Amino acid sequence: MLEIKDLKTNFNTYDGVVKALDGVNLKIKDGEIFGLVGETGSGKSVTCYSALRLLPKTGEIVGGSIVLNGEDITNVSEKRLREIRGGEIGIIFQDPLSALNPVMTVNEQIGEILVLHQNEEIEDLASAKKIPAYKSEKWKASPGVEFTIMAFCMSFISLFVMLGQWRFSLPFLFVIVSMLFRNYLQKNNSASALDLLVIDALSRVKLPNPEQIASSYPHELSGGMQQRVMIAMALAGKAKMLIADEPTTALDVTIQAQILQLIKDIQKEENMSVLLITHDLGVVAETCERVAVMYKGKIVEEASVDEIFTNPKNEYTKGLLDAIPKGGKERLKVPNLNEVEAS
Amino acid sequence: MRAILTIKNLRKHFPVKNAWGTDVALVKALDGVDLKIEAGKTFGIVGESGCGKTTLMRTLLRLIEPTSGSVVISEEIIGDKVSSNNLEELTSQELRKFRRQIGVVFQDPMGALNPRMIIKDIVSEPLVIHGKTDNMRNRVIELLNNVGLGEEHLYRYPHEFSGGQRQRIVIARALALDPKILVLDEPTSALDVSVQAQILNLLNDLQKKYNLTYIFISHDLSVIEYMCDRLAVMYLGRVVEEANTEELFSNPQHPYTKALLSATPSFDKNKEKIMILGDVPSPITYLDESKAKLATEMTEQEKLEIKSIEGKGIEYIVRSSLNEVFPLVRISGEHYARVR
Repeated sequence: MLEIKDLKTNFNTYDGVVKALDGVNLKIKDGEIFGLVGETGSGKSVTCYSALRLLPKTGEIVGGSIVLNGEDITNVSEKRLREIRGGEIGIIFQDPLSALNPVMTVNEQIGEILVLHQNEEIEDLASAKKIPAYKSEKWKASPGVEFTIMAFCMSFISLFVMLGQWRFSLPFLFVIVSMLFRNYLQKNNSASALDLLVIDALSRVKLPNPEQIASSYPHELSGGMQQRVMIAMALAGKAKMLIADEPTTALDVTIQAQILQLIKDIQKEENMSVLLITHDLGVVAETCERVAVMYKGKIVEEASVDEIFTNPKNEYTKGLLDAIPKGGKERLKVPNLNEVEAS
Repeated sequence: MRAILTIKNLRKHFPVKNAWGTDVALVKALDGVDLKIEAGKTFGIVGESGCGKTTLMRTLLRLIEPTSGSVVISEEIIGDKVSSNNLEELTSQELRKFRRQIGVVFQDPMGALNPRMIIKDIVSEPLVIHGKTDNMRNRVIELLNNVGLGEEHLYRYPHEFSGGQRQRIVIARALALDPKILVLDEPTSALDVSVQAQILNLLNDLQKKYNLTYIFISHDLSVIEYMCDRLAVMYLGRVVEEANTEELFSNPQHPYTKALLSATPSFDKNKEKIMILGDVPSPITYLDESKAKLATEMTEQEKLEIKSIEGKGIEYIVRSSLNEVFPLVRISGEHYARVR
């Protein structure tokens, strides 16, 4: 599915070049959940941003290649990248509240992705059900134009009132009132094909009451619901691959269990590949099939989950596993990084 | 067993005001908490966000006044020359004395350290405030040595340190006045596992050295299990279960504790899973009855058909929705857990 070969990413800073990725090799097969673990600064997130070419301006890919379904996407055009992002690879970020747009309703945000990636389906559904594809916005101008019209009407009203001919101000008053209450006056409030698809996307992530959630703003939802909306957005474009960058770090354990179960269920239902980036080895043990451990921009060990937890080969992996409290009261072992460097 | 702090039926209700400033609802952040904290031990408080852990901590420090209930402080902390051993009745002078005995470590070390102060000033600030300025430089160096930092760090700013080192500085500052109690509010949740191991080891060493009492607040059950002797599980402002750590982990009683334990990611794949459905209900209670009705009606609408059946001591319920039938355990009013 996704293959990353000898990927090198540098960040240019005032203090010199930071080699964030130093030859990363990854191969994610069709229909598997692949875990990428590491501590802060090990390059997990940079790997996923590099794969989608979402790096900031200071970052650049200096070597290696990214192959998606046999297509080298290391140097493809921005246009093709926009098709890939959301269309072929969906992504979930750590903090749902900052990843969602606070001034757009859930409906609008998911609708945006559907319009970008699922245009044909919207048209098909519209013609099949004989409903409008999109909500008609015939009477909606840009806010600036609306404000200007209102200001003109107001000035005419005051002009006529001052002239003592208040009767002439009535049509302008009517314009203002109808603009203010336009939403209530508009009769065509039936659901469009786009709305139906948004609700469909929301019910796929098992949200209760999708209609109500579609019309709410992100801040009105709880953390778990927000993350579910993020997953719905990532899947809305019918992506075959999902990159989840610390999807449960901001959530409570019980909600974390729900979200991980959801990711597992959806992966099974749609036979997707999932790249799960996390710092929590427990999460990896519970969800993934194969796992890679990152340290200082390199992958130090890659193995199946059972193998890595029963028989870790690398010093750093051993250190990481030892550092987790596991029931007993004996002193925790702290990974000795000098030894790790040496090996 | 010597109780160093005894919390009796503590309540804290925050009013919710409408636009005209009249109270319309109450957020029951603490709703009758009874706890006894033993001297020289680590007392853990677990719970999810919004369950009242932090409110409890703040009430213990008297940073916020409780609505009702009391916190009784033992004589070894505050001495016997005080007007009362009830925290609410202390005079401001006595409160100062009490606060000297209690140190706090917060979750985010960068937020707890003033970015424009050097480490020497940060660590010595409590000493200055409480007037213990003799031989201050040596005292600061001693404190820094205690947490594994040294004299060379005295004149640096917080941003020059790593996350683990910053947390060490916060711990050094909390220990500056030789407190008897240390309140640790999620001290390692912002840190990596390897750094977390260092900090936990450090905390254990310090506890042995100074015979400290820890109040350890966390949501990470593996850390809690490692650190704590006794443990309280909080849910919606109440303590639903309190037991010794081993007992609680081996034989949890309350369905919420069971769900919480099974939700923690572990290396054991065959563990029985109890999945909680939906989110924790809102702690808001409406004062106006019509509003309250509205709130319950909405959840009623969301709720699907639920049938109750007898079984296994705890209430098992079968919910039939979307053509699936599965057993549910009721945690509280509208909150259910699903047994897998």
